[in-house]
Amino acid sequence: MSIQRIFIGYSISLIFGITLGLLIGRFKILDETVGSLITGLQVLPSICWLPLAILWFGLNEQAIQFVIIMGAFLSIAIATDSGIRNISPIYLRAAKTMGVRGMDLYVRVIFPAALPSIATGMKLGWSFAWRSLMAGELLFVSVGLGQLLQTGRELNDMAQVVAVMFLIAAVGLVFDRLIFAQFEKRLRRQWGTAN
Amino acid sequence: MILSIESVSKEFDAQAGKIKVLDEISIQIKAGEFVCLVGPSGCGKTTLLNIIAGLERSTGGQLHQNGKEITEPGSDRVVIFQEAALFPWLNVIQNVEFGLINRMEAKKRRKIARALLHLVHLGRFEKAYIHQLSGGMKSRVAIARALALNPSILLMDEPFAALDAQTRDILHEEIQAIWAQSKQTIIFVTHNVREAVRLGNRVFVFTARPGKIKKEFRIDLPRPRDINSEGVVMYAKLIQQELREEIEKFLKEEVDREWSLKKTDLLRPAGTDLGSGI
Repeated sequence: MSIQRIFIGYSISLIFGITLGLLIGRFKILDETVGSLITGLQVLPSICWLPLAILWFGLNEQAIQFVIIMGAFLSIAIATDSGIRNISPIYLRAAKTMGVRGMDLYVRVIFPAALPSIATGMKLGWSFAWRSLMAGELLFVSVGLGQLLQTGRELNDMAQVVAVMFLIAAVGLVFDRLIFAQFEKRLRRQWGTAN
Repeated sequence: MILSIESVSKEFDAQAGKIKVLDEISIQIKAGEFVCLVGPSGCGKTTLLNIIAGLERSTGGQLHQNGKEITEPGSDRVVIFQEAALFPWLNVIQNVEFGLINRMEAKKRRKIARALLHLVHLGRFEKAYIHQLSGGMKSRVAIARALALNPSILLMDEPFAALDAQTRDILHEEIQAIWAQSKQTIIFVTHNVREAVRLGNRVFVFTARPGKIKKEFRIDLPRPRDINSEGVVMYAKLIQQELREEIEKFLKEEVDREWSLKKTDLLRPAGTDLGSGI
């Protein structure tokens, strides 16, 4: 249950986060208006969105998804934005003299050039998403790892509590190793940034 | 005229008011010419190249390519930068194909890219990543990438400045060969006088800021030219003399009002060059 939730929530965060980051990085007006709002919201622990989510969506799946998305997508957006800001202008100039412009410039130059930074954001976003999900599941009853942890507390079952804690950490770690570490390694090999 | 530059000026806004970098530059370039621009640093030669490329706008004057005004960057005027500016997320052959992607199907562009990589002697490295290449190899890839677009004007902005002398020497030979073969129009910016003489048909010497054309030299030496051949050295000396004054002006402005370059003839015994300055 938890895994399914995080996949849905995380995928939505990725799409929103990267799109928003690309837009902020490119359009100054957006940066001046939404930019500081995003940084402000990122300071807010994502679980603080839960009361609002429950009022909006009720005690259901959407509320939990909402908390995951609010936890993850901002950090992805911020990383994407800073990635775009740090693109060496020489790449853009080179692409322009070769006649690349408009949407093509985004897809073929700006996005790949910002990818190392976006990857870092994705990794961060993943751990934020996982944390928010656990907090959400702890706070209101639904089937999932968080709820299992809560049941352990109610039953005074120390073994179950510790076991579930380990499991939560393990799941987070396994995904990190399997997906993000591999992805980063590939990028590093391409860019030649580290050994 | 493939390119006509008519009294082009450029001013930058700075805290202390406007700074004039280019002052009424006029150059006419015919197809197939190899034109070199030399000048002291800060004279605006790179700015002029950027204006030709369409990456910057001039603040006065007009530029026409084949009778059409230049307003934006285009693939008919490709720039090769000093830093090579290859894309690290693509491998060598993908870099060379970069400009062709929306123009032709995959097979055709791969064929063109392969041929160009062979031309620059990098056939074996098509799958390598950019960071695995040496500086000279990067320059070669950048040349291949620009040639792939078959631009009507090739703009080169000190492409070999960061290379060691031996590599540069070899690349000079190759670029001469490529030029002789393709008859590409090339505009080449450099601060290396011998490089300019070796490569160019026409060499324009710029003044210190604001950049004006101080003098034009026509280099009618046979090709391929050697960097140490008598003709190249002779022309280089002439140009160097012109440049020296400008460099002195530049240093006065940039470093110190009191600056003056030492007279070189003090270093030589007076007996050996009697009357040389007459």
